[in-house]
Amino acid sequence: MGAFIAFKNVTKKFGALTVVDNLDLEIAKGEFVSLLGPSGSGKTTLLMMLAGFERPTSGEIFLDGKPITHLPPHRRQMGMVFQNYALFPHMTVAENVAFPLEMQRVPRAEIVRRVERALDMVRLGALKDRKPSQLSGGQQQRVALTRALVFEPDVILMDEPLGALDKQLREHMQLEIRDLHRRLGLTIVFVTHDQSEALTMSDRIAVFNAGKIEQIDTPQMVYDRPRTRFVAEFIGETNLVAGKVVDAGGERAVVRVGDAALSVCGNVQPGRDVSLSLRPERIRLGSTPAAANALPVTVADCIYHGDHMRLVLKSGSLELVARAERLAGDWPVGTEAVASFDPQDCTVLAS
Amino acid sequence: MSRPSIRDRAWAAALVAPLVLFLVLFFVWPLWTMVTASVVDDAVTKVLPRTAAAMAQWDGNDLPPPAVQTAFAEDLRSAEDQQALGEAVRRLNSAVSGFRTLLSRTVTAAREAADLASLDLAAIDRRWSDPRFWRAIRDAVPPYTDRNLLAALDLKRDASGNITAEDPGTAANRVIMLRTFVIAGTVTLVCALIGLPYAMLAASASGLVRALLLLAVLLPLWTSLLVRTAAWFILLQQEGLINDALMAIGLIDGPLPLIFNRLGVIIAMTHVLLPFMVLPIYSVLIAVPRNLMPAAASLGAGPLRAFWRVLLPLAMPGLMSGCLLVFMVAIGYYITPALVGGANDQMISSVIAFYALGTANWGMAGALGLILLAVTLLLYVVYGRLSRSPQLPGGA
Amino acid sequence: MLRALQIVFGVLVVAFLILPIIAILPLAFTSSVFLTYPIPAYSLRWFEELVTADVWRLSIVNSLIIGIGATVLSTVLGTLAALGLRRSALPLAGLLRTLFLLPMVVPAVVLGVGMQILLVRLGLASSYTGVIIAHAVLCVPFVVVSVSAALQGIDPAIERAAMSLGAPPVTVFRRVTLPLAVPGVVSGAVFAFATSLDEVVITLFVAGPNQRTLARQMFSSIRENISPTVAAAALLLIVGTLCLAALAALLRRREKRATALP
Repeated sequence: MGAFIAFKNVTKKFGALTVVDNLDLEIAKGEFVSLLGPSGSGKTTLLMMLAGFERPTSGEIFLDGKPITHLPPHRRQMGMVFQNYALFPHMTVAENVAFPLEMQRVPRAEIVRRVERALDMVRLGALKDRKPSQLSGGQQQRVALTRALVFEPDVILMDEPLGALDKQLREHMQLEIRDLHRRLGLTIVFVTHDQSEALTMSDRIAVFNAGKIEQIDTPQMVYDRPRTRFVAEFIGETNLVAGKVVDAGGERAVVRVGDAALSVCGNVQPGRDVSLSLRPERIRLGSTPAAANALPVTVADCIYHGDHMRLVLKSGSLELVARAERLAGDWPVGTEAVASFDPQDCTVLAS
Repeated sequence: MSRPSIRDRAWAAALVAPLVLFLVLFFVWPLWTMVTASVVDDAVTKVLPRTAAAMAQWDGNDLPPPAVQTAFAEDLRSAEDQQALGEAVRRLNSAVSGFRTLLSRTVTAAREAADLASLDLAAIDRRWSDPRFWRAIRDAVPPYTDRNLLAALDLKRDASGNITAEDPGTAANRVIMLRTFVIAGTVTLVCALIGLPYAMLAASASGLVRALLLLAVLLPLWTSLLVRTAAWFILLQQEGLINDALMAIGLIDGPLPLIFNRLGVIIAMTHVLLPFMVLPIYSVLIAVPRNLMPAAASLGAGPLRAFWRVLLPLAMPGLMSGCLLVFMVAIGYYITPALVGGANDQMISSVIAFYALGTANWGMAGALGLILLAVTLLLYVVYGRLSRSPQLPGGA
Repeated sequence: MLRALQIVFGVLVVAFLILPIIAILPLAFTSSVFLTYPIPAYSLRWFEELVTADVWRLSIVNSLIIGIGATVLSTVLGTLAALGLRRSALPLAGLLRTLFLLPMVVPAVVLGVGMQILLVRLGLASSYTGVIIAHAVLCVPFVVVSVSAALQGIDPAIERAAMSLGAPPVTVFRRVTLPLAVPGVVSGAVFAFATSLDEVVITLFVAGPNQRTLARQMFSSIRENISPTVAAAALLLIVGTLCLAALAALLRRREKRATALP
């Protein structure tokens, strides 16, 4: 997999504040990579450096093997979709979409043809003479997307493009963008702080924290095999359990938590203090003792969530949250039960 | 955001430069010219350079030594520029009257004399044996003077150079300054008394009523100042609408004197400046959450207490800005007092205009202008601080 | 009780603010030579006087010449400066902004005295150039404030979007920044023109008899020998400024709508 976009040792400082800290990142052609993290973690700054609006303090950025670190934004051939769309308020929809083509000196007749085709594709052909302020949020979003795509750029950059939409529209647009990515084979770098958005759309997710990438992996790996405590907590909900490694070999380890010895996934040395990450939905509750990886628990609280219940379980000083499907029956407060899980569902975090 | 690059800065500087240049040339320089006009006093030095240099030898008692007299005669002989000579005469005459005839006679004599060193000035005119005239020349030769600035404050230097009060007969400036502050203060007070409740009314109203109340404030602001003053002139005159109306409903028998007096000035200036009071208070009040007064009421505060403890403290920054703004604009007012006021309602601007336009006395116009400028800028600095303070972290 | 008091107070203040301006208007149509009510008969004689009497006709022409000159000069200089001040790329930007606003603060008489002395020295006294320059100084703050507000309303992302779509900086300025700033420039120019039209004090100091403006002529007419021509001129000024105000309001609304994106 040859790198199409590459960041090499990129650092960005604003005064004394280091926003991006000696970072390496490679993105392949046709890949959909999400940059996920809390605000201030450096993901937007990284995107701005890729777009050319910010210069790295040190390090280089490459596009298709060529350094672009000092190339001005208008010569980078990257279509960008902004947080609030950044449509030109004084131009009509058609003029907005025609703008990048005019910049490339495409002949007038061809511009008209391509704009019309592009707008028809996103079902906005009828609105082409409207001003952006006369469109709904979802329509504005589609114009912004069309405008970024119409000049067939090498890379599409998206800076929280769906943040301003309501939940239903956002989910619809997520699917639409994912579909566009597949159909056109686009390379997309997508900044978001919404983990479910990143999980739904991306080929790979880069999780940012304090200017560094904590983990970059497929959505499944990021969710199931978080490498750090930050990733485990930032994506989804998890139970963090402290313990000591008593035995280890290969990808498996045995960790002592209280009186119980639990076998879990992870490559660690024996004798170390570690944290375990255990997702609520991976905890099985039963009334009879299970064979392995079982903890005796008491139901301390039961919270109704419509389609499922959340149970707070106590085992000695340990407190776990579990998700129980409605079909799995009722678990009144005070019930004694056994919680168990499969070794591959529990990950050791490097702590 | 990135810090601007050198190229950005060069661009910005190039864009700003024309206006900076323009304002330095036609705004800062004029003000500077006015300030210097009040302290520069070189009319005499220009004509009598040798005398000015020789004056150092004289202690000011009795008559000056012969060297001074000879230098003076030489200066007079070589005085070619009639206009400059005229200005010097005028300057000297304003100190001691009699210089006009004295100098013209002496100039003629100096030009005709064969030997200046032996010229006896006292023989040409007996007044040259009077030290008062020599002292007037000595006082007038330094190129800079504080005479105008002192005079603006009704002060002067006596014969021995000490600062003393001006004779009560000629002192008028302090009275005018006091009057300026009194008129401006009265207008500010009246504006505050009307403006605060009006702004509260506008802020609490909604929809059409609020729009109407605001339009009533903005419309005068948009109307030419001169039109508004002309309107008051017409309304307030003897046969004006107000007197007619009052007589028609039988409140008064004869017309009230409403124009060319203090009352007319206050009414017209209040009308002109009221928007400057209403708008700052309104803009502060509009930001106050609407449920604050009901909240205060629910906590047991009656309407008056709620106003006193909640709304008034919140309106305070706007009220202060409004007062400063009105006062600052009012002290510089010229047109309204000039048209609607009487002789005893003229403010400092009128006196400045009188000196500059009427008597071409730039020195006095400059000195009074400098005082007005200083007071205005001081108020502006306070206003700037005040209107910025609400945004300060931790500020009220 | 309180409600009634509020209504009475509100009506009284509105009347105080509006009525004087309205009261002067009908007098422009009086047939009498006195500015008093009741109006004996209506006529247009004072408007006729306004356009036929040399002093008045000349003053209207002068007001237009000087107003247009001052507007053009201050709008060009002020717009450039507002663009330069944007994003405060300059050191001392705050100080410069204060300098640009000061002509609004300094009492007109003070500036008038200085301007009079200086223009005499520069040989510009009693010339159109001198009066236009003096008026432009007073107009500059309005242009700077208005254009700066318009520029501040432009989302920087919009200009970035243009760059990312392939527009070099000059094109971004020409196609995006400038069109979005135009309403601010126009309303600044309207303010500038209205300011020049209404200016009396500085004009008293720097203009000669040949540069007498309408406002200046009204001033001396009220002072020396008031006639209903003043009311006619006032009507002309009110109608003129209201038209300009309406134009500015219209543009501001358009500007607001254009940038009112979520």
